[in-house]
Amino acid sequence: MTPQEAFDRHHRAVFDFAYRLTGRADVAEDVTQECFLAFVRAPERFDAARGSVRTYLFAIAWNLALKRYRDHGSEEPLPEELAAREARSGIDVATAIAELPPLQRESLVLFQYEGCTLEEIATVAGVDVGTVKARLHRARERLRRRLAPYRKVGNANGTV
Amino acid sequence: MEPFERDELTDAELDAALADWRAPAAPASLRAAVFGAHTPWWLRIWGASIRVPLPVAVALAILAAIAVWRWPHPRTNDMAHPSATMDAHELRPVSVLRPRIIRSGDDQR
Repeated sequence: MTPQEAFDRHHRAVFDFAYRLTGRADVAEDVTQECFLAFVRAPERFDAARGSVRTYLFAIAWNLALKRYRDHGSEEPLPEELAAREARSGIDVATAIAELPPLQRESLVLFQYEGCTLEEIATVAGVDVGTVKARLHRARERLRRRLAPYRKVGNANGTV
Repeated sequence: MEPFERDELTDAELDAALADWRAPAAPASLRAAVFGAHTPWWLRIWGASIRVPLPVAVALAILAAIAVWRWPHPRTNDMAHPSATMDAHELRPVSVLRPRIIRSGDDQR
C-alpha cells in the first residue's frame, strides 16, 4: 500500500483517534500530519507481519499524542467554540474520557470509537490482550459511575 | 438528559452515552500538509529559516563588525624593495655634487 493509499483510507480514523485522545482538533491535526509524514518518510519501517497499516498508524499517533501529553501535561481545556457546538452530553462524555488515565483512554477510544479488536489494541499498545481487557474494564467501570447522572431516560418523545 | 438517581450505568446505557461524543471531520488541508511537505531537502532549504534570540544576533553582529575592522588590509603603498644586485651599466654620473655631512642622531629624523 502506498502512503497516498494509506492516507486516503485511514486519515479520518487517525484524526478521530487523535482528537479523542487529545480533546483538541488543532492538536489532532498536528498529530495526524506528523503521523503520516513519519509513514511517508520511512515506509520501510512498517512490518506487515506485526499488524495492519491501520494499527501501525494508530501506534504512531498514540506515541505522538503521548509525547505531547508528557511535554505539555494534560492538554488545555476544550476551546469555547467546540464547547458551543457540542451537545451538553457530548461535552460530559469528552470530559469524563479525558479524566481517564492515558492507557485506559487509549484502549477505550480504540475499542469504542475506532472499532478495533482486542488483538489490534494489544498490537497498538504493545501489551498482551489480557492487559487490554483489564484496562478496558477499568475504564468502563469508571465511566459507568462518572456518567450515571446523565443517564438517558426513554419516553414517548424519545430520549430526554 | 437529566441527572438521575441510580449510581451506575448499564453496558447499553454507557454505550449510548459514549455515542453522544462526536469528533469533528478531518480538515481537508491535511493531504496538502502531508504530501506537499514531502519535497526534496535541496528545495526545502530555500524556504528554511531559523530562529535566533535577539541577544545572540546582536552579539554575532558585533563580532562580525570587530572581525571586519581588525582584519589586516592589503598594503597598497608598499615601498619598492631595492635590488640586491646591481649592474655597472645602471650607474650614472652625478651632475651636481652636493655633499652632506651626517652626524650621529641625524638618521633618527
